[in-house]
Amino acid sequence: MAGYPSGHQAPPFHSNVPANIPTKNEAHVLISTRILTRRRLGTAGVQHVPARRRRRTRGFVQVATKATVERLHLNAFGHAYLSLGAILICGLFYLAIAAQITASSYEIATLQDQQGTLLAAQDQLRYQEVTQHAPASVQQSAAHSGMVRTTPSRFVNTKAVAINLSAPIGAAPSDSTPLWQRMMAAVVDKVLVAQNVMAAGR
Amino acid sequence: MAAGVFGFRPPGRLERATSTRLRILCMLAVALLLSGVVWSRLAYWQVLRHTQLSQQAAAQYRELVELPATRGAIYDRNMVQLVVNTTVYSAFVSPDQVPAAQRDQVATALSTVLGVDRNSVMATLSSTRKFAYILRRFSKAKADRLTAMRLPGVGLEPEQQRSYLPGSSVSASLAANLLGFVSYDGQGQYGLEANYQSVLAGTPGYISSYRDLANNEIVLGTHVHQDPVPGAALVTSLDANIQYQAEQALAAGVKKAKGESGSVLVMDSKTGGIVAWADYPSYNANNFTNTPTALFKDNVLSYVYEPGSVMKVVTLAGAIDAGKIKPSTVINDPGALYIGGYRIADWDGANHGNINYTYVLEHSLNVGAMKAMLAEGHASFYKYLQSFGLTQPSGVDVAGESFIPLPSAKTMAPSQYATSAFGQGIDVNMVQMLAAVNVIANGGKYAPPHVVERIGNKINPVMLLPQRQVISAASAKQMTKMMEGVVQNGSGFTSRVPGFELNQAGKTGTSQIPVKGQYTLNVWASFVGFLPANHPRFTMIVVVRKPHAPGSNLDWTLNDGYITAAPIWQKIAQAIVNDWHIAPSHS
Repeated sequence: MAGYPSGHQAPPFHSNVPANIPTKNEAHVLISTRILTRRRLGTAGVQHVPARRRRRTRGFVQVATKATVERLHLNAFGHAYLSLGAILICGLFYLAIAAQITASSYEIATLQDQQGTLLAAQDQLRYQEVTQHAPASVQQSAAHSGMVRTTPSRFVNTKAVAINLSAPIGAAPSDSTPLWQRMMAAVVDKVLVAQNVMAAGR
Repeated sequence: MAAGVFGFRPPGRLERATSTRLRILCMLAVALLLSGVVWSRLAYWQVLRHTQLSQQAAAQYRELVELPATRGAIYDRNMVQLVVNTTVYSAFVSPDQVPAAQRDQVATALSTVLGVDRNSVMATLSSTRKFAYILRRFSKAKADRLTAMRLPGVGLEPEQQRSYLPGSSVSASLAANLLGFVSYDGQGQYGLEANYQSVLAGTPGYISSYRDLANNEIVLGTHVHQDPVPGAALVTSLDANIQYQAEQALAAGVKKAKGESGSVLVMDSKTGGIVAWADYPSYNANNFTNTPTALFKDNVLSYVYEPGSVMKVVTLAGAIDAGKIKPSTVINDPGALYIGGYRIADWDGANHGNINYTYVLEHSLNVGAMKAMLAEGHASFYKYLQSFGLTQPSGVDVAGESFIPLPSAKTMAPSQYATSAFGQGIDVNMVQMLAAVNVIANGGKYAPPHVVERIGNKINPVMLLPQRQVISAASAKQMTKMMEGVVQNGSGFTSRVPGFELNQAGKTGTSQIPVKGQYTLNVWASFVGFLPANHPRFTMIVVVRKPHAPGSNLDWTLNDGYITAAPIWQKIAQAIVNDWHIAPSHS
């Protein structure tokens, strides 16, 4: 007891294992038992195995709290102080966040006002643009520039042309070119076609 | 003590005990009564008045801010914006926040920037009022100047305003009578603004939140935000250029004829879409607060008149379609007919002898129109009046249509049938009349008149409906030929558009205005026509009310439609031909 500070006691030791028996790994024991059970089931048929109750996993806060309490060796008052301190820190944190959000909201309000002003200016510019293109403004500008609306258009009277679209097409016109000219043309075409094509390709 | 042992009570003990209990009971009762009063009062405030008190408390820190929806724009057929939403400002003061020493300075600044009377501002500042407007709806430039001055107790309130394009004069905005305007409370008044109020207005949103003393939002409180839904835009069939030129030509024409007023309506012959809708005199919708309310009335739709000889187009078209007459049918016109005990004469009262119906239309003879109606019969004539849409409202999508129903076919007197044949004794509005004549231009089909072609992304359902066949295409063609004759040989010669002399259809109309059952020398002069006659692009009607052309005091026929209305028609038609690049072609 002398090794502990006043008001604190050593944690109680509740082990039922005698000191002369070596400590076994519990997990190892359980796994071994389970394997044995399964082996037995494989040879001796299906047997009812009572379901083991799963231990609830402790939360981080619980674990952390317990660890802190164990390390600091706090009593009941210590718990209360710790809780109050935590609450106070949370409160201050909340206030700080709230103040920050409020300040941001004020900035947002200011920006919204500025946006409204800019939108109003945009509307005004749009109206000016639309007004400048309005027929009245165009005419006024034209008049200022000395332009006048032209006199009514004059159309040239068309002369009626008699085209009989339903008349038969008739025979193709005969080619009166002399035969030698046609043959010459065919030869020239043969020779020059390739060049023409190349020229077009460039 | 012995008395106590033997159960003997001294006299008066019982009475004392009873009295003590009684007192305790009384005190308990009083305490209960008092606590009951307190509890009941608490219950009254906490339970019964809970809702009301919590509402009152919430009103002090909770604020519901309406987010106004942006009103939809209105465009013409070429997507020229006819209406623009602009932000204007209203200046207000809180007199109790203006120190007495600074009142003079504030009043001077306000009167200098806003142009308001300084003395009235001083009076407002000296009053005990908490809030007062100094000037409403002024421009952003003035608002910026005021903001820079940082005047104590002076605030600016932004508001949305509809701004309309300038019209043919300073005192009129473009298409004012068609578009209407929007009042300060956001309600559309007259015209399209009224008719499409629900579509244009949209749905306002709101913000419900907590506010601090400086009216800043406390974002950590309960915050409900509903975005506004902006109004849909309208795309109309109007053409801003044509509209402007129609307004100019109309104003000049009515002034020249010394008329009381005038109106022009131009329609797309194929679709029934309104291209121009002009009134003279008109008003400036940007300054509606300083406009006499009489000018808000739209004479195109809200004014019924007797169409006069323009109606002969309907009468003869019906008779031709019924197979009772042909353009070449010869009749005898002695200059007057006796019907129902009345002598009804031609406009000139002259004996025209044997003439055909083409001549009747060209020279606008009443006897010929009556004979066509009689050949057709009352029942058939009435049926055609119905088919041409003259017995029911036009249904055009503009607010404020006036309509006088025609008596039933059985109750109409023979004299009324006779006068209706040439457009007297029958009341119509201009939209009805134009849509009826447009049947001829549209190959015998009735094109429902409409102004709006698209609402947001949706096409106006009217445009998707099949057009009703009123008369056959062949009858419409014959009637078109007769109307071409009116321009080429008859009273419509003043409407000729250069290049289209042989391809233009029209009809004049002049009807006397009745006052207390008696026809006067005041007239409605009109001209209706379409162009080109073989492939019509537009149909137009011009009405001049009570013209007093020079010399008409001696000869009232100088106020006729061919002198007063047809030249206006010609000017506007010329502008459309130029603007739409319509080339002449032979029929």
